[in-house]
Amino acid sequence: MLKNYLKTAWRNLINTKFYSALNIVGLTIGLAVGMLILIWVQDELSYDRFHTKADQIYKVNASIGTGASRLVWGGVPAPVAAFGLKEVPGIVTAVRVVTSYSYSVFRYQEKLLKEDYGKLSFVDDAFFTLFDFKLLKGNVKTPFPNDQSVIITESAAKKYFGDQDPMGKTILGDSKDPYTVSGVLADFPANSSIAGDMLFSMNLKRKEYDGKGYWKAMDADWGNYYTTTFLQVRPDASTKAIAAKLTEIHMKNQPGIKPTDGVFQLQPLKEMHLYNPDGSSAGIQIVKIFSIVAVLILLIACINYINLSTARSMLRSKEVSVRKIIGAERSQLFMQFIIETVLCFVVALLLAFGLIYAVMPVYNTISGKQMHFDLFNANVWQVIALTIIATLVASSIYPALLLSSFKPINALKGKISGAGNATFRKILVVCQFAFSVGLIIGTLIINRQLSYIHSIQLGYDKEHVFALPLRAMQDHYEAIRAELVTHPEIKGLSTGSSSVITSNGSTSDTDWDGKASDVSLLINPYDIDKDFMGLFKLKFVAGTGFTGIKSDTAHYILNETAVRLAGIKNPIGKRFKLHDLNGTIIGVVKDFHFASLKETIAPAIFSYRPTAWQLYVKTTGKDAPAAIKLVEKYWKQYNANFPYEYTFLDDAYNDMYKTEQHTATLFNIFAGIAVFISCLGLFGLATYTAQIKVKEIGIRKVLGASVANITAMLSRDFLVLVLIAIAIASPIAWYAMNKWLMDYAYRTELHWWLVAVAGAVAVVIAFATISFQAVKAALANPVKSLRSE
Amino acid sequence: MEAPMIKISNLEKFYRTEEVETIALNKLSMEVATGEFVAIMGPSGCGKSTLLNILGMLDDPDAGSYIFNDIEVARFNERKRADLRKHNIGFVFQSFNLIDELTVFENVELPLIYTGVAASERVKRVEEVLDKMQIMHRRNHYPQQLSGGQQQRVAIARAVVNKPKLILADEPTGNLDSSNGNDVMELLTDLNEQGTTIIMVTHSEHDARYSHRIIRLLDGQTVMENIMV
Repeated sequence: MLKNYLKTAWRNLINTKFYSALNIVGLTIGLAVGMLILIWVQDELSYDRFHTKADQIYKVNASIGTGASRLVWGGVPAPVAAFGLKEVPGIVTAVRVVTSYSYSVFRYQEKLLKEDYGKLSFVDDAFFTLFDFKLLKGNVKTPFPNDQSVIITESAAKKYFGDQDPMGKTILGDSKDPYTVSGVLADFPANSSIAGDMLFSMNLKRKEYDGKGYWKAMDADWGNYYTTTFLQVRPDASTKAIAAKLTEIHMKNQPGIKPTDGVFQLQPLKEMHLYNPDGSSAGIQIVKIFSIVAVLILLIACINYINLSTARSMLRSKEVSVRKIIGAERSQLFMQFIIETVLCFVVALLLAFGLIYAVMPVYNTISGKQMHFDLFNANVWQVIALTIIATLVASSIYPALLLSSFKPINALKGKISGAGNATFRKILVVCQFAFSVGLIIGTLIINRQLSYIHSIQLGYDKEHVFALPLRAMQDHYEAIRAELVTHPEIKGLSTGSSSVITSNGSTSDTDWDGKASDVSLLINPYDIDKDFMGLFKLKFVAGTGFTGIKSDTAHYILNETAVRLAGIKNPIGKRFKLHDLNGTIIGVVKDFHFASLKETIAPAIFSYRPTAWQLYVKTTGKDAPAAIKLVEKYWKQYNANFPYEYTFLDDAYNDMYKTEQHTATLFNIFAGIAVFISCLGLFGLATYTAQIKVKEIGIRKVLGASVANITAMLSRDFLVLVLIAIAIASPIAWYAMNKWLMDYAYRTELHWWLVAVAGAVAVVIAFATISFQAVKAALANPVKSLRSE
Repeated sequence: MEAPMIKISNLEKFYRTEEVETIALNKLSMEVATGEFVAIMGPSGCGKSTLLNILGMLDDPDAGSYIFNDIEVARFNERKRADLRKHNIGFVFQSFNLIDELTVFENVELPLIYTGVAASERVKRVEEVLDKMQIMHRRNHYPQQLSGGQQQRVAIARAVVNKPKLILADEPTGNLDSSNGNDVMELLTDLNEQGTTIIMVTHSEHDARYSHRIIRLLDGQTVMENIMV
């Protein structure tokens, strides 16, 4: 029986090449793209879930400030971990991770290798027992035998030592500080929020913050929110109670502090990747949007299949009735049609696998991920099974039910009640185009938002500025500066602790005249020289900038937001205290965007340093290579031990929106594919309509209808459906995109014409698809079509 | 006396559109004995095909009784009718109605598949009947590759492969030239002589002469019966 079904199904597939091709191409692309998106979604959802104790691990965040200046910060003061472990019963383990900016290169023998910022971290010893990161070599109990120990990842080991055993080997941080390898860690999985190349003992950080210098001692410094702290919590403990207890400990240990200065919250480790500390979307929204897009694309592909197969059911009604007359039961016919769909799916699925393998490298580039499509991977099969079962059920049952339900005697005479399922097909076409129009609107709005971000007045000039650390040049900066500015290729020079496009962090350790007791201000501190404001063309709304006089070290410049949120009236000349340093406000700088446009402008404060760590060089587009060469000369003179590397701020800025760029590119592609698959279906339906109306067209032509008349007649019905789809999709897409835009503090306006454009695009595409068939049918010789009747 | 294979009494069938009600069968009664060869004749629209469809259990009557082999089937649901049909009745159509995607062999095999006959047995029976119809040499051809006469032979082969008690033929020679038509009528006569009951709808007086009895219909009623000698 099965053999017979398969045989019939296969011959049907072969005999109707045109429709089979349409069906299979649509399904292949739909399945491939649907699975690609779901693989992406699965990758996003898999972050940080691989730890055995993942359910018990929380990250401590701090809600700081009041009112408009309130924000939830992902770092907390270092003492939280130590005090929490000691005084809060529900906490089993506490581990801190602090990014190290101490070194940028390491030397092993003659090898000098660069380590990117953010790849080095200080960790507590329990890091290796709390998390499932695998220590391949070394001792989990005493990972760092002494403070000069370092644990490196497998690929870092390979990089430095090749095939030699790394254990006990010594590398030199910035070519001077020796560290001995005491362990080798398996590389961090790609879906881990915690990553890096080298891990150092937290003791080293503790030594750095010994309380003797500018900073307080590490375990006494409650004002500096710089440690990422993870807690393992007893399964029965209340996270709310633990957070409250931590806040209480903070109040007790930092005199003069108010609850508004730092309320701790616990965020599940598993949510760290997709949610911001404040619970807003850090990616979960995109995950949701992409999941919906995947479902829509699969639905569109299913609808194609259903439409084409039910439309063509008329042509198969004879076969169905003959089978019934000679003894086929309905269930047998139902099975036959299910098997036809299954066969079609199997062919499409195999092609889809091929397609996925083929585009995976490109897909990884576009999405900025390292995903693998491995048919031996159980996770991949989850995606495949989900996709296939859902789409197969969706597209097989209705056609099979419809076909097997024909009354044999009616079907044989061609008296199929076509009206009912024609309406159903129309509804499906409307759905299909509604999805497509929705995706087109989404695409337009996402692209507009991205170009808006690029065109927004940031409040500073970052063009043709490149940055590099001064290192040893710092001690000779004045001389270097004096020489460099004489070159026409160099338009300006400045130094600062961090650039205008991002801030390094923020602190609530502030005080000022007239500070209300319940007000807390989280502020982003910048150390800058006298040229910084000028170089980046930051504008003053009051007062002046630094001039380089000695007293400038006791001067502060605030941004507008800081003044507003602190509630300082007539700020110039008022007292302001940052950490332990009292000073006078001498200027207020106009607000500028020093963070992602997803965030509103935060308070910022500028302190004077004659020479800060980072060097900024302004040049012109044309002179950039020459300027880079000029700076390199000094680099080689003073920093010979370090590779010469610089970053253009424009590039760094674009990097901040990389995720958005990836998202937008993917969305464009997906929307395009959705529209394409819809059109395949429409093309098939139009072809079919032209076929069954061949006699009507012939008669009309004989009676004098023009080609235009016929084309209009055939296109009209479909265009009406597309218009209905536009009417349905527009408000929904509008609402959804509005919600997406809410994520951005600065967003483009939604205009009605966006919908009009999307609608027009859909109509034009649909018309082009249909009219090809319509014109062909209209041009056909009526004598031929009438004679065949 | 043996009970008739088919006994219908006061059979009625109406076709309704929104405004018009057409009577296809008007209190029609008739009997067909086992082993009979009956021709049904009459002008277009007299109800011949409707009658044949009801006899073949492809359609149900609106009123009246239809007893087939001592079983009242007029009120049977579709599933029961289908079951009865596939074990007892074979159909032959004017337009052959072979399935284009299947070969001659596969077309003939199909009824056996649906009645659950084992594969080895199927091959035996299909070959037997193809041999009898003298189209064995065409067993692997598709219907489009055959002449009309050959197609109708395949259709008859398919109709008889399940060894039905009754064959219903709807203008079996309507699409054939006279030579092929005569061959088909000979085949049907042979089958009848071997014991199969045949009811045939036809426009052709020539074909009707092969039967034992002609029932003439007009406006859904029997107007005349001729017994052939």
